[in-house]
Amino acid sequence: MTVPQIPRNDAARKQSSAPYLVPLLVGGLVAVALGVYGREHTPTGYAVGPAGFSGAQAMKSWLATGAFVLAIVQVISALAMYGKIPGLQAPPWTGTLHRWSGRLAFVLSVPVAFHCLYALGAQFDVPRVLVHSLLGTFFYGVFVAKMLSLPKRDLPGWTLPVLGGLAFTALTGLWLTSSFWFFTTFGITF
Amino acid sequence: MKRLGPYHTLAAGVVLALGLAVLSVQTTPRTDDAAASSGIPDARATTKVAPEPTSTALTGDATATGEATEAAAPTPKRADYAGVAQGNGGLVALSIKNGKAIAYFCDGRIESWLKGTAEDNTVTLTGKGSLITAALGDGKAKGTLQVGKAKWRFTAPLVKKPSGLYRATAIVRGAKAVGGWIILPNGQQVGLVDIGDSPYQAPKLTPGSPVDVEGTRLSPEDTDAFIDEL
Repeated sequence: MTVPQIPRNDAARKQSSAPYLVPLLVGGLVAVALGVYGREHTPTGYAVGPAGFSGAQAMKSWLATGAFVLAIVQVISALAMYGKIPGLQAPPWTGTLHRWSGRLAFVLSVPVAFHCLYALGAQFDVPRVLVHSLLGTFFYGVFVAKMLSLPKRDLPGWTLPVLGGLAFTALTGLWLTSSFWFFTTFGITF
Repeated sequence: MKRLGPYHTLAAGVVLALGLAVLSVQTTPRTDDAAASSGIPDARATTKVAPEPTSTALTGDATATGEATEAAAPTPKRADYAGVAQGNGGLVALSIKNGKAIAYFCDGRIESWLKGTAEDNTVTLTGKGSLITAALGDGKAKGTLQVGKAKWRFTAPLVKKPSGLYRATAIVRGAKAVGGWIILPNGQQVGLVDIGDSPYQAPKLTPGSPVDVEGTRLSPEDTDAFIDEL
């Protein structure tokens, strides 16, 4: 065991050389914890959620669609902030738009994920459900990693775009395996 | 302030999830009360008594140890099983809640609803001319099913929604209609709708959406919705 003998300076330097380690580690733990909970906890088949829809599936489909639309706003506003949209000078409120559309998308996703995990659990029987279960846990892991990375100032420039891109990709997959499936199977119902 | 923003976002999500959890737990039908009102007052006492043999098993012989192993895994409070009746091809679904057991057998032509009790990891259920006895353990229910003079063995593993048992009741042209469906994790399903004691072919069920039978809309519900009423 040579670990305790490493001088403090070395340890500190090591930590600062990979500042994204802690957010990634915490994000990974969150993803694993959600997956284990979804697998081990006996699904109740019942959960409280926003009222006004014909059923839980419709509620989740529409909230997820809202989150997905906001996620598109996220990608566009992020591209604008990074100056990746040719000929567009990002207006000063782009950052605010990005922050609040993201928060709203996250808040919309929570009742959906809560119903998924509490009432249904992670299931691997059908490919669609398997992909959805895995993407769901992955999404929150990436999201937590990104939130924890945001306040850090010493990160490589690619950290946030990569994490944001992964979150958007996961959310797209989640939407396709849930809302899109619901709307194409049962019709567009509220 | 800006640097704390992301933490606030995460905290808001956690608080929202916790709030939903508290509300869900509070509004979930009280299972213990349900057991008492469904006329099985012994259900709770049984579960409390069951672990006791463990102490005797420490000094006891092989038989006592066998009992202790069963006691170590008490009768599930809430469980759903579904599987195939061997030699018949029909499906059997079995659900347990606080000592009460319900079951449904259906092969597309014959069906039977059964109810009974679950204690000491054994279920015994009876229906009109039908009988099920099964042992619970290792994540499955294993036993025999008797419908009329026919008798089949079955092994039904634990299933999770959307697999399992569904039931719908309605009045169709003045007659009482009861529909039953069983869905296995592999997608196999069987169902039958009984209208005024005559069997009708059941439409394919997609959990969560209604079905139309003889011009009447039925809304099949999962076990949680009717186990207390049956």
